[in-house]
Amino acid sequence: MYKLKPVSIRVLKMREMYRNTVPKVCTARLKIVTDFYQNNPNITGILKRGLVFKEIAEKTPVLISQGEVVVGSMAATYRGSALFPENDIAWMQVDYDAGKLFNRELDPYIIEEEDWDYIKSVIPYWEKNSLSAMVDQYIPEGYFNAVGNQVTVYNGKNICTAPVGHFCTNYDKAIRKGFGAVKAEAQAKMAEMEGHMSGNMIEQYNFYRSVVIVCDGMITLSKRYAAEAAQQARECTDPARKAELEMMADSLNWIMKNPARTFYEAIQVMMLYQIGLCLHNNMHGISFGRVDQYLSSFYEADLAAGRTTPEKAQEIFDLFALKVAEMNKIWFSGTTLTVTGYTVGQLMTLGGVDKDNNDASNAVTYMMLQTAGRLLLHDPPMSLRIHKNTPAELWEAALETTKICGGVPTFENDDVIIPALMRNGRMDLQSARNYTLIGCVEPAGCGDEWPACGGSGGEAYWNMPMAVLHAINDGHNPMADRYGNITEKRTGANTGYLYEMETFEDVLEAVKTQYQFFLEWQMTMVNMFEVVAAEHMSQPLVSCMMDGCMESGKDVMKGGAKNNSSGVPGVGIGNAVDSLVAIKYMVYDKKLCTGKELLDACLTNWEGKEDLHQFILNKVPHFGNDDEYADEWAAWLLNLFADIVASFTSIRGCKFAPGLYPVATNVLWGLLTPATPDGRRKHEPLSDGISPVQQLDKHGPTALLKSVVHIPQEKYSNGTLLNMKFHPSALSNETGMAKLIALMKTYFNLGGMELQLNVISGETMRKAQENPEEYKDLVVRVAGYSAYFVELFKNCQDDLIRRTEIDL
Amino acid sequence: MSESIVKGKVYDIQGFSVQDGPGIRTTIFLKGCPLSCPWCHSPESQAFRSQLSWISMRCIGVEQCGKCIKACPKGAIKAGNAVKKSGTDEAISYVSIDRSLCDDCGDCTKVCYPGALYLCGEDYTVEELLKRVSKDIPFYDESGGGVTVSGGEALSQAEFTFELLKGLKERKIHTALDTTGFTDPKNIQQVLPYTDLFLYDLKNMDSSQHKIVTGVPNERILDNARRIAEAGGKLQIRVPIIPNFSDSEENIRLTGEFCRSLGDAVVLIQLLPYHDLGIVKYQRIYDDVKVLKAEPPSDEKIMELKKILEDFGLTVTVH
Ligand code: SF4
Ligand code: SF4
Repeated sequence: MYKLKPVSIRVLKMREMYRNTVPKVCTARLKIVTDFYQNNPNITGILKRGLVFKEIAEKTPVLISQGEVVVGSMAATYRGSALFPENDIAWMQVDYDAGKLFNRELDPYIIEEEDWDYIKSVIPYWEKNSLSAMVDQYIPEGYFNAVGNQVTVYNGKNICTAPVGHFCTNYDKAIRKGFGAVKAEAQAKMAEMEGHMSGNMIEQYNFYRSVVIVCDGMITLSKRYAAEAAQQARECTDPARKAELEMMADSLNWIMKNPARTFYEAIQVMMLYQIGLCLHNNMHGISFGRVDQYLSSFYEADLAAGRTTPEKAQEIFDLFALKVAEMNKIWFSGTTLTVTGYTVGQLMTLGGVDKDNNDASNAVTYMMLQTAGRLLLHDPPMSLRIHKNTPAELWEAALETTKICGGVPTFENDDVIIPALMRNGRMDLQSARNYTLIGCVEPAGCGDEWPACGGSGGEAYWNMPMAVLHAINDGHNPMADRYGNITEKRTGANTGYLYEMETFEDVLEAVKTQYQFFLEWQMTMVNMFEVVAAEHMSQPLVSCMMDGCMESGKDVMKGGAKNNSSGVPGVGIGNAVDSLVAIKYMVYDKKLCTGKELLDACLTNWEGKEDLHQFILNKVPHFGNDDEYADEWAAWLLNLFADIVASFTSIRGCKFAPGLYPVATNVLWGLLTPATPDGRRKHEPLSDGISPVQQLDKHGPTALLKSVVHIPQEKYSNGTLLNMKFHPSALSNETGMAKLIALMKTYFNLGGMELQLNVISGETMRKAQENPEEYKDLVVRVAGYSAYFVELFKNCQDDLIRRTEIDL
Repeated sequence: MSESIVKGKVYDIQGFSVQDGPGIRTTIFLKGCPLSCPWCHSPESQAFRSQLSWISMRCIGVEQCGKCIKACPKGAIKAGNAVKKSGTDEAISYVSIDRSLCDDCGDCTKVCYPGALYLCGEDYTVEELLKRVSKDIPFYDESGGGVTVSGGEALSQAEFTFELLKGLKERKIHTALDTTGFTDPKNIQQVLPYTDLFLYDLKNMDSSQHKIVTGVPNERILDNARRIAEAGGKLQIRVPIIPNFSDSEENIRLTGEFCRSLGDAVVLIQLLPYHDLGIVKYQRIYDDVKVLKAEPPSDEKIMELKKILEDFGLTVTVH
């Protein structure tokens, strides 16, 4: 029987502080960066990004809160949020003007008046100097015709509010080698080149130069924390805490420059490197990678040497996780709708196979699950890699954790993901076996790949049913897009109207044309963004540890990493597939209505067409019921999507990688998507992940899983996401658990890639809506992330309740 | 062959059914039962014919629809009371069915797309069912599961059940038969070679009480159980714990003794404490609730009874 271990008082107090602190916006970073940019217009490119990090490392507030052992802060106050103007900060003015800045409905922040005055004063500068402003200049002329389509997210301006993110650099190297060694390596490379640089060697030289600068920055940051710890030690009257602070000071003086010596030091390196990356980069899906793999040898060595006990190590890990949980950033209010709960996606991966394909789980794997289960933390999110030889006790520990902490961990299938990652030249076997998860569910190299998961700049989410609608509506979007653009013009390709299509094959042709049209635009826009961003947002701090960059002398943004990829995730799969099926069934196979009737019904939101609407919802086959009539089209459509995406090349020379996950865009996008032929009404959420349309899977979980394996998941190396909701009674005893494990294993054997569970009843969620205070700690899986249920946006809560619940 | 000729009346097929035997199973529920247990939680299983059923929640209201009213040749349906549509303030009227006029012809169900009105009981051939349940073979294989044939009393449709079980075994699918045991011994004899496990109800060891409450005595049931055991069949005994009927220590002790007397044929005893979920289902097919209403037994009580059986060396679970 799986048991939760006791939590120490110190950890409980820390958790309380985390849960009870309303984050405050801190302008320190904004000021450092603005001053640097304004005072140094002559410093550009990779040097600018290197030097600005050094500046941050020297000046960012150093904060060690009471009782902390693992340290590192984004801001001057506990749980504070830094500001990141380099991408875009004009959104703050937009929110302010809309009255949404000071009283945010979701994820509230404290903003001092005087801080707002300062922010306001620098917005005009950044409006001309942010990456977003620069990228806008490069939008291809033809794209303006497509603006307003709502298939791609890009508008005609401000298209890169989401920063470069979603990656995992090599923390293991940072821990075991240190920044001192990497700096020396870069200096040696420079010395070698000095005075005789032909061709583009000068670019390499500049890269190494920038590496030296950021390594110094990392070491400086650590030493500043060491000084603060030493200072607090001197003032401390409690002898135990004093000794602890002295130990911390000693470690902080040593690490970053030198290899870590203990479990604690290894964790502290990860933490400070993370703080560095986030302060440099705008924290956006910056993921930790295979944490249990980095830490295991340190833990075992400490135990053997008597330097630690399992309890002490567990406490340090608890404190580490709470430290990560505390990190957050204020988002644009509109974006907050899709990533509520102060979510920033600092994912940790556990389990999986090692380089020889043996099980790699270890004591730290269990320690991580203990942390999530005992502290009910949705952040850091965790992903468990499953394979044929995953030990039974790890299955049990993971399921027990997800029962109490919704969706933590997610379950990832090595047996599908590893071969998927080796497709299309993405990576070799060695890298693939060492993969990690990024952001929410995206497989990527662990410290050796620049995956640009989810695209760069604007998120790369792509609205699948909307493209189907374009296909039958001659390329028109009948509804205003999220920027309020409503347009008479054709935003897609010219494919004619449904009633002009004589056969279902004609419909399929039209769908192909629109998919090609919008996917090409999608990838064009990502490439356009990357070209500009590679110049202005170099990543020397990531690159210095990432495998391949030191060897090639190239930044990750320029393709320097050992492996490269670029993800494009589709959203609303269930609706898109069901739309095709409904068209086929109603108009062509059974001829129960005309194409005109069906299209008109969509354009008028089924007004006055309730009979047709009910017939489609209830009598037409739907994806998710193990019915070949419908499932065949899932295979067709998702092969189409995957093949188009995989054929396109990124500026870094790699191929694009298709994915199928929505974060929670399915709810927001539903609000912006007209009625669709599958019977979905206007404004209703799109289907979630690769799930069937909410509540239209009527034959239970086995049929659902059989349907979703029609999706060629092995082609989706950017990840797929399947949420399942179980009633608690389904897992109340050992037989229930065993059957659930068998269910999951069968899904994985049949080609399923990922699965995440909510074990909760609709009733509990409804109660939580009524009495949020009582359900403050209820963690649920939303889509690509977990969150405290009561902190979610109402539509999102409703969507969760609406999803099909499996009971017994 | 005869397989495709025999038809069975099925009222439900449930995938991922995990309470009806080992592993992940599909349970096929056949209509019709010779007993009439007042606590029955699937009242729709009792009658042998198809019956008109009604789930109010699904009705979209006569204002928008009302098609069933026109469809009924007997004039049995009219507009009923106004209610609030779930999740909104919109008032809609459900329909009301006059059961005395209705002959379960099913015409109304054909026009009711939302499925508020539906016929409970559909005819299937063995072939059709085999095709349907074979889809989940990967799940049966991984979990050690299979197919359970249940009811009603499945052996009331003896020929069909026999063909079905035989077909399943030909496809190497694990089979379980959920039965009251109240059937002609030759039916048992016939299915024995094709049934890996009998889910077998022992409701009360006292035959006269058994008769008063369920409508039939228990001798034949006990005999059939012995017959199965002698033939080497496996039994999973199910004991419904019904207040003031089967919940006495005496009854449970006698049940334990009986099970012991069957040697190692009994692999598991399941205690099924009474619950009142059946009431909702009654309302789908009847106007008045005939189902037994009682206080569900306490957890302590169940644990005591469980202990009595365990003292016989039997393995016991509670559901
Ligand atoms: S046909 Fe069905 S949905 Fe329509 S009014 Fe009758 S019961 Fe309601
Ligand atoms: S089953 Fe037939 S008789 Fe009964 S209400 Fe429906 S249409 Fe009328």
